[in-house]
Amino acid sequence: MSDLRPAWSNQFSADVLRELRAFGPLGAITRDWAWGGGTGKGVCVAVIDSGVEATHPWLGSAVKGGVIVEYDGRRKESVRIIDEPQPRDLFGHGTACAGIIHKLAPAADIYSIRVLGKDLSGRALQFAGGLRWAIENDMHVLNLSLSTSRQEYYGLFHELADQAYFKNVLLVSAVNNIPAPSYPSLYSSVVSVAAHAGQDPYTFYYNSEPPVEFGAPGIDVEVAWANGGSMFTTGNSFAAPHIAGLAALIRGKHPELTPFQIKTVLYACANNVIGAD
Amino acid sequence: MNSAPSLEAQLRELVLAITATSRALLPLSGDQLLQTIVQAAASIFGAAAASIALVDESAGEMVFRVAYGQGSDSVVGMRIPLDQGIAGYVANTGQPIAVSNVQTDPRFARDTAERTGYVPRSILAMPLVAEDRVIGVMEVLDKLSAPSFGMQDMELLGLFARQAALAIHQSQHLDALNEILVQNIRALVTPETAVDLERVLGEKDAAKHDDVLEIARVFQSIAGLGERERKACLKIMQVFEEYGTTHLSAYE
Repeated sequence: MSDLRPAWSNQFSADVLRELRAFGPLGAITRDWAWGGGTGKGVCVAVIDSGVEATHPWLGSAVKGGVIVEYDGRRKESVRIIDEPQPRDLFGHGTACAGIIHKLAPAADIYSIRVLGKDLSGRALQFAGGLRWAIENDMHVLNLSLSTSRQEYYGLFHELADQAYFKNVLLVSAVNNIPAPSYPSLYSSVVSVAAHAGQDPYTFYYNSEPPVEFGAPGIDVEVAWANGGSMFTTGNSFAAPHIAGLAALIRGKHPELTPFQIKTVLYACANNVIGAD
Repeated sequence: MNSAPSLEAQLRELVLAITATSRALLPLSGDQLLQTIVQAAASIFGAAAASIALVDESAGEMVFRVAYGQGSDSVVGMRIPLDQGIAGYVANTGQPIAVSNVQTDPRFARDTAERTGYVPRSILAMPLVAEDRVIGVMEVLDKLSAPSFGMQDMELLGLFARQAALAIHQSQHLDALNEILVQNIRALVTPETAVDLERVLGEKDAAKHDDVLEIARVFQSIAGLGERERKACLKIMQVFEEYGTTHLSAYE
């Protein structure tokens, strides 16, 4: 049966993965330089998702606040922003992502931006509204373990991705598991992430055939879930926060780095890139 | 004029029959096809159960349409809110997810699984996407040969989900077409239009309705060939529609 199975996620398996080289001065970038001794202190990471359970024991006191973005077709901007000082999580998924980020960057401040709910029709606009709020409210790293495949929003999300870049906000996005376009993960300024089968949170790879650029753990990983719970789960959704956590560490240690520079540091430190330690 | 009352009576009868049995004018094989898809998915993954739930946007809920395997009797027809559970998450994000040790998610166990009397250990949930919209969620439960579903299972289920989404989408189109046909027939037999019955049931209009049915049948059989054929069919219809509105109206 196994030979019939598709394997779009195979780009990070041992037999396919290509060894790459960090040329010139990039070869001198080490993990120790990039994030050694870092904790993510002073870095604001926004989780745009189903919410974050602020009281979850795996999150300590990392969650500093949040907002709920609701769809409202009557308003010009199509959404309504509601302050949520003590964030909650509808599903558990955002809490799972926050838990991974907190594990890697324990001193980073986490903000919940809840963009999911009962109203599916306005979902892409809620998502865009959450992205805009994060960019305008000085977040440094955004974890986007969700996407839209609706072509009509290509331009809107592209504009937001550019705005984020020019404001020095790094977008880390999970790619879709099905071979279909997904935004904003396909834009060049976004760090797009898929899952590999490893368990070590610091093991990640660079894919020399983008648009999927990075591979991080996301298969059978244990994550925090709703109501103080936890479970084992699989999905590219859980790969993205591993890279977001590392990006928070890098940003905390080197606040002057721009999104493309952080991406370059990640490249130089990837496990399949020679020159990294 | 003599033939008109009997035709009217026939139409009335037809409308009554449709209303009474909730049966569609056009053949609906959608559910049977979906049932086959979930059954095939369950056996190919070696899963204990599989199901498809469809989004009901106006109610903010999902409704289980077909199911196979353990707990399937109690799950069909069950409604769950769109802002809860694993299926709700998948419908919200359009992202597939695989979960093992489901029981550790207390909300899942209490709200959904207990109502069906069957609490799975592992779940693989995949969105059903048609024209960029999530129209439902397909789930397979409890892989028998392994403790959890892997990434390749996820990608394979994606292929099944594509077929299922296509089948659902087509059957929804047919439902809409049915509704239009029924409305037309109903309009023919209501008292307000009865005075005009002679004109309404004239040779030309009767032919037009026959044509609509015939077009629907042809369209359905071509659409059944696949996505590309369906799109080609739609394009042809659109070209005719455009031609009709710009050229033909001048001659009426």
